[in-house]
Amino acid sequence: MTLKVLAIDDSRTMRDLLQVSLTESGFDITLAEDGIDGLDKLETAEPDVVITDINMPRLDGFGVIEAVRARADHRATPILVLTTESSPEMKSRARTAGATGWIVKPFDDVALASAIHRVTA
Amino acid sequence: MEPGAKVVTVMQGELSVSGDPTVVMSCILGSCVATCLYDPSARVGGMNHILLPGRRGEAVAHNKFGVFAMETLINELMHIGARKPKLVAKIFGGASTFDNGLAIGAANAAFVRDFLETESIPIAAESIGGRQARRVRFFPESGHAKQLLTAEAVPAEELRPQKPARDRRPAVPPGGSGEVELF
Repeated sequence: MTLKVLAIDDSRTMRDLLQVSLTESGFDITLAEDGIDGLDKLETAEPDVVITDINMPRLDGFGVIEAVRARADHRATPILVLTTESSPEMKSRARTAGATGWIVKPFDDVALASAIHRVTA
Repeated sequence: MEPGAKVVTVMQGELSVSGDPTVVMSCILGSCVATCLYDPSARVGGMNHILLPGRRGEAVAHNKFGVFAMETLINELMHIGARKPKLVAKIFGGASTFDNGLAIGAANAAFVRDFLETESIPIAAESIGGRQARRVRFFPESGHAKQLLTAEAVPAEELRPQKPARDRRPAVPPGGSGEVELF
């Protein structure tokens, strides 16, 4: 079964990168351009995994994690943070909010695909 | 140089951000490109200095190194108060300083232009190409930039990278890139 990924990033360049990488890795990808857009697309995308950036307008990655976790049908959906940030404070905040993992950009195609498979196994 | 100015030299592969009106960022560019970004409302700015490993003609979406260097600069600016929709760019460099037939400078400049266009960041000023090296000074708080074309074709700094000083950091975080941590 093809895994469905909802990827949320405000950078169009990064969305293009994710589209290419995840499609080539065999995932079915839905893109969203900020946290609000991501939450709007959550129901129709029915993702097996959510990938989110941290720094975004309107609603940031922490807000996304909290809002996804607040929905009964997504309480257990894996959420991977994909960001240029690497501070322990931000990682800890994401973990407390309910994130499943943290990936530092620039990401490696194979490592990203492998992380998605691991959290959905 | 202005009296009392704090000069921050941004070497290849590094970036720096500041909202301090006494800070002047400086770099010397051959085929490298420096992107200066500033938010005129928040009065903060920053500079990066990149040389891409990719080949000419590679799509922006395939040039992760360059994308990362740009995104890190934008994120660091957001940390000190900039808003991405307000950002304005000034770009410098991309000269054909090595006479080896490889259009490295042009490829670097094309990447930066494509990236800024994709991200809808306007270019307020640019000085790109040519055969001479450039010394660029950028005042991050005001967004003003000055450049001096130098006589030498290849800046010595581009041939002999120096040790980094404070107030600037490598574009790749110490934890390593692509690091995956599952909680």
